[in-house]
Amino acid sequence: MLNVTKLNRKRKKTDNATWRESGAPHWLKSDKDKGRRHGGAGRLRTLPTASVGAMGADGGSEAAPATPWRKVLYERQPFPDNYVDSRFLEELRRNVGVRRYRYCAVAREAGLVAQQVSCVAAVLTLWSYMAQGRLSPFMLLGASLLCALLGYVLYEALGGPRGSERTRWADLQSAAIFLAFTFGFSPILKTLTESVSTDTVYAMSAVMLLAHLVSFPYAQPSPPGSLSLNAALFGSVCLASRLPGALHAFAMLTCALLVFALWPCLLHRLRNRAPWTFPWAAVLLSLAAVTGLATLSLGGALLLVLALLALTLLCPLLLLRLQRHKDNIHGPWDEAEIHEDLSRFLH
Amino acid sequence: MVLKIFFPQCCNRADSGLLVGRWVPGFDSVVVLAVIHYPFIPGQVKKYLSEMQSAIQLELTVLGSWSMPKDGQEGMDSFLKDLSTIFPQGRWLQLSRELGKRGFACQVIGRDAAVPPRGQPKEGGDDEKEKVIFIHYDQRKVMLSHLHPAHGQEPAAEGVSELRLVFQTVAQSQPLFFLDKYDDGPIKLTHWQSEGREASILVELIKQASVPMCCVLLRATGVRVTGSWRVLNMWPVRFVSSKLSTCVQLSHRTEHLQTISSPRRAQQHADFMRKANIFVSFLVDIALGLLLISWLYRENRIGRLANTLVPVADHVAKELQELLQWLMGAPAGLKMNRALDQVLGRFFLYHIHLWISYIHLLSPFIEMILWYVGLSACLGLTFALSVVSDIVALLTFHIYCFYVYGARIYCLKIYGLSSLWRLFRGKKWNVLRQRVDSCSYDLDQLFIGTLLFTILLFLLPTTALYYLVFTLLRLGVVLLQGFIHLMIDIINSFPLFAGGLRLFRPYRLAEGVKFKVLCEEPGMSLHLMMEINPLKLSTAVQQYRIPTYSCYPKDSWAALCKKLFVGDLIYPWTPLHKGSKED
Repeated sequence: MLNVTKLNRKRKKTDNATWRESGAPHWLKSDKDKGRRHGGAGRLRTLPTASVGAMGADGGSEAAPATPWRKVLYERQPFPDNYVDSRFLEELRRNVGVRRYRYCAVAREAGLVAQQVSCVAAVLTLWSYMAQGRLSPFMLLGASLLCALLGYVLYEALGGPRGSERTRWADLQSAAIFLAFTFGFSPILKTLTESVSTDTVYAMSAVMLLAHLVSFPYAQPSPPGSLSLNAALFGSVCLASRLPGALHAFAMLTCALLVFALWPCLLHRLRNRAPWTFPWAAVLLSLAAVTGLATLSLGGALLLVLALLALTLLCPLLLLRLQRHKDNIHGPWDEAEIHEDLSRFLH
Repeated sequence: MVLKIFFPQCCNRADSGLLVGRWVPGFDSVVVLAVIHYPFIPGQVKKYLSEMQSAIQLELTVLGSWSMPKDGQEGMDSFLKDLSTIFPQGRWLQLSRELGKRGFACQVIGRDAAVPPRGQPKEGGDDEKEKVIFIHYDQRKVMLSHLHPAHGQEPAAEGVSELRLVFQTVAQSQPLFFLDKYDDGPIKLTHWQSEGREASILVELIKQASVPMCCVLLRATGVRVTGSWRVLNMWPVRFVSSKLSTCVQLSHRTEHLQTISSPRRAQQHADFMRKANIFVSFLVDIALGLLLISWLYRENRIGRLANTLVPVADHVAKELQELLQWLMGAPAGLKMNRALDQVLGRFFLYHIHLWISYIHLLSPFIEMILWYVGLSACLGLTFALSVVSDIVALLTFHIYCFYVYGARIYCLKIYGLSSLWRLFRGKKWNVLRQRVDSCSYDLDQLFIGTLLFTILLFLLPTTALYYLVFTLLRLGVVLLQGFIHLMIDIINSFPLFAGGLRLFRPYRLAEGVKFKVLCEEPGMSLHLMMEINPLKLSTAVQQYRIPTYSCYPKDSWAALCKKLFVGDLIYPWTPLHKGSKED
């Protein structure tokens, strides 16, 4: 309503002064206008689409044309070209497609982001343990392989359509390739960053893991995004090269691969098949990460807790509050969207 | 309309007679070539002229009459006018000169009416008088000179300008000048050679002997070139011989010999100059080579050279080894990947060890090899220089090998890195569209790709350093070889004959003419002296350069830098393929 008033005011300035007397549409008349009665004004008032803008219309002393105004320019009409009547902007719609979020749903979805952050924190914890020598690589390797097996069984148990080209044999081959390559390259990986200073290595890993978090495809984690996976692996390789032995590097990389490449696929399937397990999984993972970090440094654990809480509880609140200020306008000037199903043309 | 009469200087003092020459087609000028003296029989004159015309392929005609009356020869005017009826022409020139006066008098009699002589004072308002300009020229010089096209003009535009036609007329009329005044023929001529032809016995002997020698030379070079030796056509021999600059120079010289020894005379001026240039450069080359031999084979210089060669090779190898040890440590404070460093360094060290053993194996034979190879300098200084260039190439062969290894590894690394970087971002190179497109990779591809990318990235500084060092070494060797090749090229291609001709006989290479005013009296025709403007020395050298197998690098600086950065191998001195040599 506010905008329309502004427009009308602008129009009033450009047109003749005489228009003001009789010309304003009826829904915009001020009180003092209502008092005026002129010869032809009565007629003008009752016809909302009447031609009120005739140039030189003088207090209604002339007879207004009887034809209503049409929104065409290819006919000569007694109105000026920039005339619009009361139907102006009546097709304007505001915030048509805006969804009203509910807090619980948003908080649930934000759990995915929190869960990813805790994954990264978990990997960092494991790395720190191995670097300090508190965790033996064999144990980590064994645990990773066990988790991988369990995860695979769960994946199959949840069922669902599998891609036509992925057989169990192909999966086994992939696993064998991963293990062979990593094992073969681990001596090279161990000495890769020997000559680079520690600060540089830490900085690079931090940047890469941050890039991973930022570019992760939260909407559909199942085919992992190129940049996010690559960044995460690059960061893990940088960190793995700082470990004392070749086997440590191998174990670290296997763990990183498990967490960053295979876990999102399982998560995606969980979310689709058994949505009620998803929040529990996220909570469990966050708790594990916080506990693990707490054994290393309390300050870090506290930071992590704050971050997770902020992500899960604070950010949805912010989103909801900001929704109120949303102001989208739609109208017949938008691009057409095709809503019907065109697949019938395929056959 | 101004009529220009080109009058030879030698005929300035000739006795009276008929003027013989040619009307220049398309222009208002006439070239006087000779004067036929009295007494003559018109029929014989006409026969002689028609013979000359068929020999020369020019339209020689009787132009008019020339009278320089000596004491006691007066009253020839009417006789001269009658002559015009014997030799009917479009226009009849009557030139006359008096002893003691500088100017000529000229009457141009057209077919229709007589034009009043110029000697009379000008009558006002008479536009039908023709102005005549006499241009005197030195007949011998104009005959021998060749007019070059003006700067920027193509040779195809030759033959159009008036000056060119004049030069061509005089040059082509050489058979006209064979009759001199000692010949007992019915016709007596005056031209530049009428005092008698000069000849020298040596020149005649050489001319007689040159034809059989040319045939012999042709036969000899033909046998070698047509490749009746099958073994020379096999691929390995051809490949090696295309890399050794000695063989290239040999084939180049053989072609030159073939050009010189063709038994036909050169028709065009350009062919003649080319043959002469090649011949002179050949002679100079061989003379310098013999000089070098006489210097080299004295005082056991060959022995001393051989004795210093092996220690020099040893020294080079030792320097290389020290360089590699330095690289294997921490060169310039750079941090290298130790493992890769050790691998590369040990590999190259082993290579050097092999090479030194090979040199030591050869060391007893080096003196003999050098002795025989030095003899090849008698074929020319260019051969000696090519042999030196080849020896340098052979001695630094290991540097070349290292450069190739380093460049290949580096090139592979750069290629792999660029491709894996695209994989890192999730993109792929679309070969069909020649652009970068997005691509969804499989999990295993992503994993292995990232792993390899990390490894290649961290190993890059090491490889880059080795590549840099060996490229610099190789560039140094290439510069040295390039310098030697430049000397060879200069000796091969410098046109000594053209340069000498420009210095000692400048009128033979003409760029244009200049005119000097000889006599300008009011009432008389203008007399100009035409002098030949010789070609500039730099233009002459540039035009008559002998084309060689140009060894100049074909990459611009920007392309070279790009190749160095990417790791492509650079071959700056490959000789061009024979088929593309311009002829």
